[in-house]
Amino acid sequence: MLLNKNVVFHFLLFFLSVGYFVIAINLGAPFANNGLQPSSFPLLIGLFAMMFSSILLYREVKLMKSKASSLEDDTQTDNALSGKGRFAPLAVMLSIFLYILLFSPLGYFFSSILFVLSIIIIFSSLEKVLQKIVISTIIVSFGYLVFEQMFGVRLPTLWG
Amino acid sequence: MEFINLVLGSFSLLLSPQILLYVVAGFLIGTIFASIPGLTATLALALLLPLTYSLDVSTALMACASIYMAGMCGGSITATTINIPGAPSSMMTALDGYPMQLQGKGPLALGHAAFGSMVGGALGAILLIVLAPFVAEVALLVKTTGKFSLLAFAIVVIVIAQRGKVVKAGMAACIGLMLATVGLDAMEPMTRFTFGSSELTAGLDLMPMIIGTFAISEILIQAKSNGCAEKMVEALKKVTISRRDFIPPLSEIRKIGVMCYLKSSLIGYAVGTLPGAGGSMGSFLAYAETVRTSDEPETFGKGNPKGIVASESANNAVCGGALVPMLTFGIPGDPVTAIMLGVLVINGIQPGPQLMVGQAELIAPMLASLLFSALILIPLTLYLLGPYFIKIVAIRKDVLYGIIALLAVVGSYVATFSTFQMMMSLIIGILAYYLRKHDFPVITLLLGFILGPNLEEFLRRSLSLSNGNPMTFFTNYDSLFFVILTLIFVYFLAIKKPLKKPF
Repeated sequence: MLLNKNVVFHFLLFFLSVGYFVIAINLGAPFANNGLQPSSFPLLIGLFAMMFSSILLYREVKLMKSKASSLEDDTQTDNALSGKGRFAPLAVMLSIFLYILLFSPLGYFFSSILFVLSIIIIFSSLEKVLQKIVISTIIVSFGYLVFEQMFGVRLPTLWG
Repeated sequence: MEFINLVLGSFSLLLSPQILLYVVAGFLIGTIFASIPGLTATLALALLLPLTYSLDVSTALMACASIYMAGMCGGSITATTINIPGAPSSMMTALDGYPMQLQGKGPLALGHAAFGSMVGGALGAILLIVLAPFVAEVALLVKTTGKFSLLAFAIVVIVIAQRGKVVKAGMAACIGLMLATVGLDAMEPMTRFTFGSSELTAGLDLMPMIIGTFAISEILIQAKSNGCAEKMVEALKKVTISRRDFIPPLSEIRKIGVMCYLKSSLIGYAVGTLPGAGGSMGSFLAYAETVRTSDEPETFGKGNPKGIVASESANNAVCGGALVPMLTFGIPGDPVTAIMLGVLVINGIQPGPQLMVGQAELIAPMLASLLFSALILIPLTLYLLGPYFIKIVAIRKDVLYGIIALLAVVGSYVATFSTFQMMMSLIIGILAYYLRKHDFPVITLLLGFILGPNLEEFLRRSLSLSNGNPMTFFTNYDSLFFVILTLIFVYFLAIKKPLKKPF
């Protein structure tokens, strides 16, 4: 399972490189009037990226085939990684995404308290939530002092 | 001589309580971040970068310099006390530091580490102050074709320096270069890779790139390995160190020998000038050289203070070396100098030889701060705060990452007061997280992004000037010099067999 994920990741990189190269081709001819045009550099980078990503993809596929026989061991490793640690990065990504969405409508204070609380819970547990709310409020107030009071950054507020 | 006088004059700035506060606070933050395994001085700088908007450039650079110096020596604290290097550059320190801790000589090991860091950091800074103006004068001789070959040399060296993962480093550099091509073309009024988004017309901002690459991806990585952090905190709670044994006796310093300090510092400085090499390579090479030339090589790895001195002198001397290409050619050698370059760029200052020649008054205070941090802050901080660092490092990880996450995400809002930049930080952070998870060195991504626009511009200008003839890169002496240098580095770093690890 873990190895398949690696192949998928390397395939995505290859796909990204090919996509970039195709868009670069559509930017126009690379040479005109004895000079390089805007498409030339992206074409060159796209070529290198396709070369590197195809080597990496080939290596991963080869590795996957050679380890296919020891699939059971991989499944065990994957199971060991399961649980909180496995989903924690996804939970952090979701927290940041929601925080960004709520940052302007809810204002700095409310959105930040919810965000910091969610990060603290992801990095610990759901125990002693009240204590964690107090800690989150202190951290957010400290952030307010640093950004708005010390460095004069105007942060959004609920009341506009 | 004029520049040296300017640097000496800049020490007077440290008499200003406000500037001194920023420098000392920067040093303490850098030490704390470097001493906590998983956190680095790079992360500290990435988080503090948005705040430099409201500081003047010189003060911001002075604070950056103190964070950089602290970042190199702070890692020795946990490397010695619990055998977990707080920063990669202190990896070699742990080899002899931890055995000394087990022998009950932990504070002495930290004292040796601090003294070695002080000597290495100071020598590196002095060499930088003395040599940088000459390098800048030489850099002025490099014309358009030479500039392209120099930037290509830097990218090639950064990629091949990532031994064992050169293809991954090359791919990461390509992603950085791809991201650098987003937005308006530098030479013609045409947008590229914007997909109709007006917010991408000006290109991707450096701030979300840095915060995403180093801060958000780090939070995601730590979220996955949270259990390890808890074990580390438990180990730290058992450690107690007292202040009285910190100062290494003169007899031991004599036994280590002046040559060990000097040679390791010079190795560190030379390694620092190479793009992509960094503190860990500097400390590794100095350690290997010290073992090789020692009369008693069998004592290394068992608590020989000479090993600690070699490692720490070298990694702190790297600071001075790494600033040479950044200040004279605008090429950052490692993540910290890349962020320092970011401080210059976001303040509208173009790094390069003209900066050293024409705006030396902006740079001189930074070098004064680097020297001040090495000579005064390293020993003073260890002596006064050494015993308490262990307590600070054992801070609750959930609270720590709550603070880091808040500073990172709100920090990316500061640049343009737009949630678009926050979203870009998240996207870059997720990309960097998956790259790091698959063992891609993200430093090459960032350097590709930073060097990309100039690389493209100089390539196109060079070929325009030569009517499209690519032989121009071999017929111009400045360009040919860097082409030959690239080939030499490719031979020594990628083709010739690498050095064996001492242990």
